[in-house]
Amino acid sequence: MSFRKNLAWLYDAAGYLAAFFVFGIFAVMIGQTVMRELGLKTSGADDLTKWFSAAAAFLAMAHAFRRGDFVRVTLLIDNVGPRTRRVMELASLAVASAACAYLAFWATRSTYESWLYKDMSDGVIAVALWIPQLSFVVGAILLALAVIEQLVIVSLGEKPSYVVAVEERHARGDFSEDL
Amino acid sequence: MGLLEISGLLLFILFLLLAGGVWIAMSLAVVGYLGLALFTGTPPGKGLFTAFWGTNSSLSLAALPMFIWMGEILFRTKLSQEMFDGLAPWLNKVPGRLMHVNILGCGIFGSVSGSSAATCATISKVALPELLKRGYDERIALGSLATAGTLGILIPPSITMVVYAVAADASIIRIFLAGFIPGFILMILFSGYIVVWALMNPEKTPPPGPSMTFMEKVKASGNLIPVTLLIIFIVWVLVAGIASATECAAYGVLGSLAIAWWSGSLTWANFLESLMSATRVSCMIMFILAGASFLSMAMGFTGIPRALAEWVASLGLSPLALIGALTIFYIVLGTALDGVSMIVLTSAVVLPMIQKAGFDLVWFGIFIVLLVEIAEVTPPVGFNLFVLQNMTGKDSNEIAKAAIPFFAMLVLTIAIITVFPSVVTWLPDVVMGVEKK
Repeated sequence: MSFRKNLAWLYDAAGYLAAFFVFGIFAVMIGQTVMRELGLKTSGADDLTKWFSAAAAFLAMAHAFRRGDFVRVTLLIDNVGPRTRRVMELASLAVASAACAYLAFWATRSTYESWLYKDMSDGVIAVALWIPQLSFVVGAILLALAVIEQLVIVSLGEKPSYVVAVEERHARGDFSEDL
Repeated sequence: MGLLEISGLLLFILFLLLAGGVWIAMSLAVVGYLGLALFTGTPPGKGLFTAFWGTNSSLSLAALPMFIWMGEILFRTKLSQEMFDGLAPWLNKVPGRLMHVNILGCGIFGSVSGSSAATCATISKVALPELLKRGYDERIALGSLATAGTLGILIPPSITMVVYAVAADASIIRIFLAGFIPGFILMILFSGYIVVWALMNPEKTPPPGPSMTFMEKVKASGNLIPVTLLIIFIVWVLVAGIASATECAAYGVLGSLAIAWWSGSLTWANFLESLMSATRVSCMIMFILAGASFLSMAMGFTGIPRALAEWVASLGLSPLALIGALTIFYIVLGTALDGVSMIVLTSAVVLPMIQKAGFDLVWFGIFIVLLVEIAEVTPPVGFNLFVLQNMTGKDSNEIAKAAIPFFAMLVLTIAIITVFPSVVTWLPDVVMGVEKK
């Protein structure tokens, strides 16, 4: 249990870090326009925005997945009996686990190659590309862990965390996260 | 296997994954993987990395978390109550009376929010109890709120439009501008329906509230100042050239924070909650976009989109027949899918088809946004229905039935923009000049 608590802490920590990068996008965009109005050079701000945006998206994946924010078609799964539902849930999680493990593998391998071949960013500021790409590696590995964790707990008979979280949120009348 | 058989097989696998409940982004990526691995000589791993990294580290997509955050902040303020108080006194004399608050409120809120469910929830939260308390007809109230909430994605800013612009590689600002006039037309049609309904069923509209003098009305309208200032602020930042279309999203956040601070709802907890919510929602959308971009890349390698586009072209459909077929296709798709998924799922195949048939990508953007609006109110899966179901405890099918007349207005708007495409393209052309082909 404590291992799972540690995992959950890790997902949330990465989620908060992602939120920090969302705030970073805001800060850079405002800062950039103000500096431009003052006649200062803002070279590199666009690169920063891009990398912050990537970091925000990748680092939040595990956290968002676990909270049930990732959309799926629930038409069928919501309307079958509990036993069929469990089988479908397990099958979905098995596919998802394989897909996310594959993603994590390629994120790591490609970023490693960026480091190996000393790839530089092609924007205004030259930065070793593996540094911003690190957010992809961390985010993808955490997502793979989160999905596999769900596969394990559902196969042990527990209700998936992403279902519980959405039920709680909708019971509170909070729909702000649905589009 | 010919390309058409291959695309049929991939489509079948995609359908199986989606129906089975596999997360949409992952289903897209899995099909992309299969397309590359089975039918081309291109190794999929590197492409997967490039598609994900390239999509998420793009400048235009950075606006997405900003627009979402803005809505999240406003959702947690008293803005909707103020809008109700400010609008209500002016509508006492119009047939249908306060029912029009739903339309106007959603339209105004739509110009600061980019989400349909958020607009619906924010306006309904205040308008629905007020209307029912005064004895207004529940059916029309629910139907109009469910459908007018979708103005959130037609009137810019719009999350759906940002997603479309990224998927279609079209100009965000052009699509934003193109949404204004269809948005107004739709509001007029909605309000028009309410007027006609009220005149036909006079017994169903409760008596007017206490009448106010003109000055009292103006005073009540003071409640509209914050939202008006916010709209003016964003437009000014954009028009004065201080910020680009992407950067003005950050100014929207700044303005929303100012409103929240001014009205006293900017607590540390609210701030953090809105930021975290925005982070999760944008992560979810960007994950889908990344998966879709990998699928598009894979499809490009297989040559399927080109083959399909040529196949459709060989059918010799008239443009009108093509649009008609696509309308039905998207309405069917919209019964089970949400708007963002609908757009990214189809863009790889439908956009080449549309361009080959000679349609403007900006025009098609508005067309597809209108269809996404329809999707939001068609059961079994329609987010606005879920929002109202949760607020009222009524079955979503019942709410969908109440929305049918307003649904018809959406279809009518699609017909209008198809017959007169210039209502869409006029404003962007006037403001930004005619696009060079």
